[in-house]
Amino acid sequence: MTLANVIEWLVKGLVWVLILLGGFAYLTYYERRALARIQVRVGPNRAGPWGLLQPIADAIKLIFKEEFMPARADKLLFTLAPIITLTPALVITAVVPFGPESASFQLFGRTITWYIADLNVGVLYIMSIASIAVYGIVLAGWSSNNKYATLGGLRSTAQMLSYELALGLSFIAVIVLANSTRLLDIVEAQKGMWFAVLQPVGFVIFLIATLAEVNRAPFDMPEAEQELAAGYHSEYGGMKFALLFMAEYDKMIAICTIAASLFLGGYREPWFLRDTVLGVDQTPWLGPLYVFIKVFILLFGMIWVRATWPRIRYDRLMAFGWKILLPLSLALVFLTSIGMLLAEQVNPLYQWGIPLASLAAGFIAILGMYQTLRRKEYARA
Amino acid sequence: MQHEWLYIGLFLVVGIIIPIAPLIIARLVAPRKPNPIKQSTYECGLETVGESRVQFKAQYYIFALVFLVFDVETVFLFPWALALKQMPLFVALEGILFITILVVGLVYAWRKGMLEWA
Amino acid sequence: MTAPAPVETLDLAARFPGWVTPDSRPGYSGWIVEKDKLLDFARALRDDLGYDYLSSVTGVDYLPEGKMEVVYHAYKTTGGPGVNFKVQVERRDPVEVPSLVSIYPGAEFQEREAWDLLGIKFTGHPDLRRILMWEDFAGHPLRKDWREAYFEEEFKPFKSRWPEGKFQMAEDKARLGDNLSFPAGFDPRKKTDFDPEKALYEALRQYQKTESGLETEHLLVNIGPHHPSTHGVFRVAVVLDGETIVNLKPVMGYLHRNHEKIGERNTFLMNMPYTDRLDYLTSMSNNFGYALAVEKLMGITPPERAEYIRVMMAELTRIANHVWAIGFLLNDLGAYFTPMLYAQEERELILDIFEAVSGSRMMCNYFRFGGVARDLPDGVLEKVRDLAFDRLPRKVDELENLLADNEIIRARGIGQGVLTAEDAIRYSTSGPLLRASGIPYDVRRAEPYSIYDRLEFDVACRPNGDIYDRMMIRFDEIRQSLRIIQQTVKQIPAGPIMAVKPAYQVRVPPGEAYGRVEGPKGELGFYIVSTGKSSPWRYHVRAPSFINLTAFGPMCVGQKIADLVAILGSIDIVLGECDR
Repeated sequence: MTLANVIEWLVKGLVWVLILLGGFAYLTYYERRALARIQVRVGPNRAGPWGLLQPIADAIKLIFKEEFMPARADKLLFTLAPIITLTPALVITAVVPFGPESASFQLFGRTITWYIADLNVGVLYIMSIASIAVYGIVLAGWSSNNKYATLGGLRSTAQMLSYELALGLSFIAVIVLANSTRLLDIVEAQKGMWFAVLQPVGFVIFLIATLAEVNRAPFDMPEAEQELAAGYHSEYGGMKFALLFMAEYDKMIAICTIAASLFLGGYREPWFLRDTVLGVDQTPWLGPLYVFIKVFILLFGMIWVRATWPRIRYDRLMAFGWKILLPLSLALVFLTSIGMLLAEQVNPLYQWGIPLASLAAGFIAILGMYQTLRRKEYARA
Repeated sequence: MQHEWLYIGLFLVVGIIIPIAPLIIARLVAPRKPNPIKQSTYECGLETVGESRVQFKAQYYIFALVFLVFDVETVFLFPWALALKQMPLFVALEGILFITILVVGLVYAWRKGMLEWA
Repeated sequence: MTAPAPVETLDLAARFPGWVTPDSRPGYSGWIVEKDKLLDFARALRDDLGYDYLSSVTGVDYLPEGKMEVVYHAYKTTGGPGVNFKVQVERRDPVEVPSLVSIYPGAEFQEREAWDLLGIKFTGHPDLRRILMWEDFAGHPLRKDWREAYFEEEFKPFKSRWPEGKFQMAEDKARLGDNLSFPAGFDPRKKTDFDPEKALYEALRQYQKTESGLETEHLLVNIGPHHPSTHGVFRVAVVLDGETIVNLKPVMGYLHRNHEKIGERNTFLMNMPYTDRLDYLTSMSNNFGYALAVEKLMGITPPERAEYIRVMMAELTRIANHVWAIGFLLNDLGAYFTPMLYAQEERELILDIFEAVSGSRMMCNYFRFGGVARDLPDGVLEKVRDLAFDRLPRKVDELENLLADNEIIRARGIGQGVLTAEDAIRYSTSGPLLRASGIPYDVRRAEPYSIYDRLEFDVACRPNGDIYDRMMIRFDEIRQSLRIIQQTVKQIPAGPIMAVKPAYQVRVPPGEAYGRVEGPKGELGFYIVSTGKSSPWRYHVRAPSFINLTAFGPMCVGQKIADLVAILGSIDIVLGECDR
């Protein structure tokens, strides 16, 4: 570990963070344009060609905006909260590989890999950092000393707690399938088949839980505009608000890269292209491109959901998390481990029992939900 | 391996500097003209009444308690899941028994009405 | 097509001897009730005679006679003409009239309004605070002897502007502060320790506390006026237990401009464009109601073609309003603008038609006493035909397909914010709110005006009275409106569009009239008293947005905070009308 080493990683980290920030800026642009298309509008198209300079204009505006702080706020925490929110959103991506080892390249005599760190407990790292993110929001809400913000902060705690369980359990299903918590291993384990195919319901649970974790519609309770004005960031303006906003969108990007790595084969090509020239083994530099495409598509999914669905109510959100997602993901862990045991000890073909069984479990859960809703309707008439 | 954690540490440093930098820039360039009205707490254009930090409904905390139980148990499952393929069948089944206990706990909390948001 | 309920001749004077006398002033109708007997009379009227629906309560200040009058209009929810009864009291403070809230809870806000603007004290009212003006406002502005700052003269047009046209800024004539009058002993430079919010918060704290195991503090939150989803500057003060609403009080008046006082200064015709500004989304319907009331006084009926145009425009307004309401309800439920923008596309096409006929998209000012301002321009009828027969039915089906089966909408709508049929009547709600609670009451059928008795349509009605039904009933009503428009397009005759010669000044004989139409938001009524002068002596608007809010509190208590906004959205209010 030399000074050169330290500088190398600092620079690498800085470049990656700057890419994330640029990604945030253009994610807002992407979202606004996509929403506009869905809503029969044009979207931002004035600043620069196709409105491409819009994010930059926004950034400049936010920098020059007056900073003020409510007199009743807790000054220190009020300033710290945006930092505490943004930092986890940035560092969570440290363990996500964006390209295979073979795609590493030489620069100034150093080997640059496509990840920041190669932890053997990568999944655990992601889980722990993800749970730190909630602190920022709670602190932001609490330190503002504002009723809407406090309510928003409390809501977000309860919500993130509830969905973190489902999230953690869907991680376990992946670990069972990959037999490793190292993300490089998990990605390589999907060489033959994506885990999204082997564990489709787990993938769906992961997506739903991440929507809740990053406070996106239809789970955007903490900032539910209709009831809580702006929720936990009601009192924020200027650059501090920009940081909170940035955290939210960087979390989206981060969570999509994680979803891509855990379930969609990360930098690996789609499994059916394995032996063609499009395979990552044949052309390593395609790896980052595959990640980008997958993230792009997953992000579109999030935007689409936002454009389409109303917000579900808070108590139902909690009920959904605890009464549907949690039992279902417990069942999935159970089914996946049984399936893996059978595949290991009896016949590899039993592996295909996992998707079938999990789909059946998902179907039962949906049926149960449907029954409850119908019962309500019956009670109404 | 230690290196990897060091890299994370370095990345964390970058991750902390990056949010602080714009705050400092904004502090340098943004105008600051505070006045009491601007600094008042937002409550839809009215003066707030009462305290925002009241003794809140216990519901939120009950959820936190239930969460704590389940989260710790989820973490216990991680090493088990990791070693599933290597371990003898008996041990693997024990893990499944553990999941069953979790389910029983969930059912108990459910029946006790802990999961009702009222 | 149902026939209107048979008119029974009602002789209240014979039924309640000593209590009631007929109102014999020329041009007036109805009954004058003794003040002491008002409660007994109202109870008998509701329970024995079946007039269960109190539509309008308002006051009139007869300054020359030295009297104050409270005017009530009650109807049967089964249909038929209503009964109009009044209470007269000496115009000497305190002017006191017994409150009818115990019999007709729907009178609550209207009595507060009468207290606020006219200074009529309703004894026995549970929460008699000001409602449109602020709490420490001095005086009651609708009294005839109340004069505003920069008062110029009694009636418009002011001589300084017309016909001489010597325009002078009011602030040049009198320095700021010089023409204001303060109550005795009030010094504007001194800060008073009066807390305008105190009465509200005290009223808010009066609720039944339930005993539960864990002690928690209740949180008082103001939602609005400066809030993204209260449909304007509407404010609700809510007491929350966690996320559950324990008690709430709506607060309005932030957009108050004393429409009625200004209306009493204006000439009759000057009020026509002014009604556009009530519910600025449905200006055609507002015009309709006002024209109807004044025509009743003048005793004229518009020619056939004008009637068809009026109905066509009113129904187009209803569609435009309902798609807007559905879109915004979805926004209130948290859908990010997509349904709203889809709905708005159709509204824009309807506004195109309004622009073609009246020259303005929103502030149409299209109706005149005895007809409409202009005939339909070329091509408009074809446009309406295209919309009514082709595009709108298609698009409404599409919108309904997108929304009606959405699981989240169902979960958030079904069984939430329920208003039972009894409560809907008791609280004098009207329009889609009333009909979604299972009461098929529609002024177009209950007391047909214009040509509605000749048109075929059904009164949309849904049984459950929850948010979901209130959304769906708007789809039903759009379909019925389309049926009406289709008939008017087919049947519209040629001919004149005005019964009288257009004039700036109309001669309105003395008397009173109550004209009511089924506006998109509910029953829109105009109560007008004329003394034969160029301006109305009393010009009162029975605003559906305002009165429907009476039921808002009872609907919300026990629901979650997120439902509050959805319930408000399902009532569909416009603050321009609510605050007047």
